[in-house]
Amino acid sequence: MSVATRSVSRRKAPNWLPYLLISPTLIIVLVFTAWPTVQAIYMSFFRQYLNIAKFRTPTFIGLRNYKELFTSPDFLQVLKNTTIYVLGTVPASIVLAFLFALLVNRAVKGIGLARLGFFYPTILPMVSAATIWMFFFTPDYGLFNTFLETFGYHGPENWLGNPHLALLAVMIVAVWKNAGYLMIFYLAGLQNLPEDVFEAASLDGASWWTQLWKIAFPLLRRTTLFVSTIAIIDAFQVVDHIFVMTQGGPSGASTVLLYYLWQVRFEDLNVGLASALTVVLIIIMLSITVTNFVLSEREGA
Amino acid sequence: MSHNRKAFVIVSLLLALSMVLAACGAKPTPTAAPATKAPAATQAPAATQAPKPTEAPKPTQAPAKPVTIEVYYPVAVDAPIAKILNGYIADFEKQNPNIKVKPVFSGGYGDVKTTIQTTIEGGGKPPVLAVMLAADLYDLVNAGYIVPLDDFIKSMPNGDAYINDFFPAFMANSKYDGKIWSIPFQRSVVTLYYNADLFEQEGIKPPDSWESLAEAAQKLTIPGKRWGIEWPSGWPYWLFQPLAIGNGQNIVKSPTEVVFDDPKVIEAVQFYIDLSHKYHAMPEGVQKNWGNAPADFAKGAAAMIVHSSGSLRGILSQAKFKVGVMAVPGKKPGTYATVTGGGNFYMLKGASPEEQQAAWKFIEFVTQPKYAADFSIKTGYIATRKSAYDTPEMKEYIQKVPQAGQLKDMLKYAGAELSCMNLGKVRNIFHKYLQAAYNGQMTPEEAMKKAQQEADKALEMFK
Repeated sequence: MSVATRSVSRRKAPNWLPYLLISPTLIIVLVFTAWPTVQAIYMSFFRQYLNIAKFRTPTFIGLRNYKELFTSPDFLQVLKNTTIYVLGTVPASIVLAFLFALLVNRAVKGIGLARLGFFYPTILPMVSAATIWMFFFTPDYGLFNTFLETFGYHGPENWLGNPHLALLAVMIVAVWKNAGYLMIFYLAGLQNLPEDVFEAASLDGASWWTQLWKIAFPLLRRTTLFVSTIAIIDAFQVVDHIFVMTQGGPSGASTVLLYYLWQVRFEDLNVGLASALTVVLIIIMLSITVTNFVLSEREGA
Repeated sequence: MSHNRKAFVIVSLLLALSMVLAACGAKPTPTAAPATKAPAATQAPAATQAPKPTEAPKPTQAPAKPVTIEVYYPVAVDAPIAKILNGYIADFEKQNPNIKVKPVFSGGYGDVKTTIQTTIEGGGKPPVLAVMLAADLYDLVNAGYIVPLDDFIKSMPNGDAYINDFFPAFMANSKYDGKIWSIPFQRSVVTLYYNADLFEQEGIKPPDSWESLAEAAQKLTIPGKRWGIEWPSGWPYWLFQPLAIGNGQNIVKSPTEVVFDDPKVIEAVQFYIDLSHKYHAMPEGVQKNWGNAPADFAKGAAAMIVHSSGSLRGILSQAKFKVGVMAVPGKKPGTYATVTGGGNFYMLKGASPEEQQAAWKFIEFVTQPKYAADFSIKTGYIATRKSAYDTPEMKEYIQKVPQAGQLKDMLKYAGAELSCMNLGKVRNIFHKYLQAAYNGQMTPEEAMKKAQQEADKALEMFK
């Protein structure tokens, strides 16, 4: 009797149980990710300005929003800024994260303090962190300038107001904030590496550098894939510090894609154009993530 | 849930009781009932202070059913706004036992507006009241988020007098399409703060023209130690406006017309740049020092700053010297200019008539001279109504802090804050090119011409 029941349930279970188990996630993804995406794609073919009475009702205008985007100098500037921002912050954060992880992976006295120090920026809310950094970047007596002066540097001082430095300034904050977070994943990865491999390598006379580069790094490939994926997504999605530090300025010099999207949607109240921007953002993110995944899988094969 | 129900039962019981009482007592006199827990809905509270001559008795007709209204509210200055407002709400609820006011403190001005937008567009119910930027008027009307307030004003026994008691400069951004859309609440003006001790020491008179301003700034600059003047420009239109107005040409003309490329505006941009490039009295380029400027001034690292009047309290509490306040000098000797800023009460669409009535009552209550004065004293905002300056509290305060009275007197030089259709876009365009000029990426003339072109395009659809 009981055997029969069990076998029945075992046969039936695969039919619904997995779906039931993933359904909460699935529903959340469908409602909060998939559906808005579909909606954004749809709305990107319409003209809708919330702040113009006659254009409040959406009108179909085909690809005009996309045409407007790609002919707008502002948008091209934003794409350029975003490219610099992502290419500048992602590799730097990953390399730093890896170095931090190597540094704190050793069982030295007081290493807990170093770990805390590296991880600390992560638990600080971005808005508070950005506010603190704003004071660091203050011209004349800011900590950052004072720090650079100890190296004999007396260059441009007005970090956030200078069009050539504002983007760099927000990038520095992003790297500082992210590296500690990404370090956690490398640290976890490093601590899971099999000891015997390294022992064997040592016996064979492999240098520290060789061990690191030929053994540890390849073994951490999956971690790197994961870390780079979230780092890239973060780079596109975290713009809180830009709100606090530069408001995208001066003259749009530190405006990146998501900040621009916010401006178009919530300041200009231009729903159609904001939807087109959303679609562009989604396409960029999807292609980067997929490429990243495919490339690293191929390497592994 | 059960808590709510219990509250509802209690309130209903109180209501029923009040009816019985009202039926028993022939004519309830205001002083008859105890002030606390006054059950009668038609009861005015026992006034603890002498009634203000300028204030008419408030209509005491409370809604029959208990009403809860939400007020969304930003905190934009360094003052315990939440605590202050909660105090007013407690007073209000004591007088209006049937109305519950739920304040929702939601970040800065931008956050309040974004939250409300998202709520409305997501099909939710927005709060009945919100404090948003006075300059946001046109976008809010066009988006159909807010309701005009004329009917409520007309329903007052002295509606015209009520409105006329607000300083006209503060009402400038409330009227559109023949209607009144907002009631001034937390308002400020651009202020030139100067170190009066330092001026005296150096034998300099407070400036009364661009030239004397620049000379004073130059004279007071000690390279590497002290700037003659700091003039933040990270979010530049507001602090720039007094320069344009002081040269006889405001940058906004009508809801669909902005004036960026007028020679007088260009000259104003040039003057700002000259302060650093010609007189070397101000940091070069775009100054991201809105947060630091008051502290720099208070500790003597800047002899003058241009900032919000709302920073007065903070500056006075830190500065160890005599602080002077004045409007920004205009180009011609003896002329001055400033511009208003800050937030007004707006009533949002989607509320029931009862809720709207309750919300209006709250606006009336909290803008009374007594509260307007108290709010000004506690926060540093300028009291919105003339009669607030006749209250004994305010008179006493101004005796202690004469600067507060001087700020009010600056209102006569105030021009209208940049407010127009498509404000977000137009303002961003102006910022972009103004900063480009400040940073020397373009000449003032090039920059303002480009700004005008793009702004005209952004306003075209609204004509």
